[in-house]
Amino acid sequence: MRTRDTNKEEIVKQKAIEILVKLGIEGFGMNRLAKESGVSVATLYIYYTDKDDLIKKIGIEIGHSFFSEMGKDFSPTMPFKEGLRKQWENRARFALKYPLHVACWELLSHSSYRDYILEESLSDFKIIMNSFFKNAIAKKELLPVSVEVFWSIAYGPLYSLLRFENEGKNFGGGPFKLTQTIADETFELVLKALTP
Amino acid sequence: MEKSLENILVFVTNIKTETDKQKIMSPLDKNPAVLEWNIDQEDIDCVLRIVSETLSEEQIITLLNLHDFECKPLQ
Repeated sequence: MRTRDTNKEEIVKQKAIEILVKLGIEGFGMNRLAKESGVSVATLYIYYTDKDDLIKKIGIEIGHSFFSEMGKDFSPTMPFKEGLRKQWENRARFALKYPLHVACWELLSHSSYRDYILEESLSDFKIIMNSFFKNAIAKKELLPVSVEVFWSIAYGPLYSLLRFENEGKNFGGGPFKLTQTIADETFELVLKALTP
Repeated sequence: MEKSLENILVFVTNIKTETDKQKIMSPLDKNPAVLEWNIDQEDIDCVLRIVSETLSEEQIITLLNLHDFECKPLQ
C-alpha cells in the first residue's frame, strides 16, 4: 500500500512556493516542480489533480497559517492600542519568518486565484478583524473612518518597513534594519493618526 | 475523508483539445467504476487522472484506446 509521505509533500509545497515566487504563475509547471522536488510527475498528480488544484491548495494553506498567526494572543475585544500592537507583532513575525510565503501570497492575491483562496481561508479572520474594528469605533478608541482608510494607515507603514527590511536597504542604498525603536516610533505615529 | 492513494491512477495521453475531451467525457462519466476523473490539458503530457476503487491501469488504457486515444501510465 502506498502511503502519503508527508515529508515529501512538504518539500513539494516549499519548492512550489519558491518556483511561483521566482517565475510567477505562468512560469510554473508540474514537470519543473517534480524535477526540482525530486519526485515523479505521477506522484504530483496523485497528490493534486492539476496545476490549478495545487496552486489553490498552496494558497489556502499559506492563508490559513498567515491568519492563524495573526490571531495569536489576539481578541477583538482588546483595547484598540493593545490589539493593534498585537497585530503589528503577529504580522511582522510571520513576514520575517516566512518571506517567501508572504511573497507567494502577494502574488496569488493579485491573480485570478484571489477570490477562491480568500473565500476558503479568510472568512473567520475577517469576522474577527471586523469586530475589532467596530468595537474600537464604538468605544471611541478609533476615529470613525472606513475600513480601507483604517487598513491603509494601520498596516501600510508596517508593510513598507517590512519591505525595507526584506531588501535590507534604505533609500540611500545603505543598510537598513527594522529595529524595535523604528517599529515603535512608526507605531506611535500610526496611533496618533487613528485615535481621537 | 482522504482517498486512498492506491485508487488514483495517472496516465500520459494525447487528449489535447476540448473536442478530444468531449469524446472521452461520456464514457468516463457513465462508467460507475470511475469515481472521479480530470485531465490536465495545460500539461505537455495531457495527464489523465482517474480515481477508481476497482479499475486497473490496463482497463483504463483499453477504454481510451477504444476511443482512439493513446494512453500509458505516467511514470
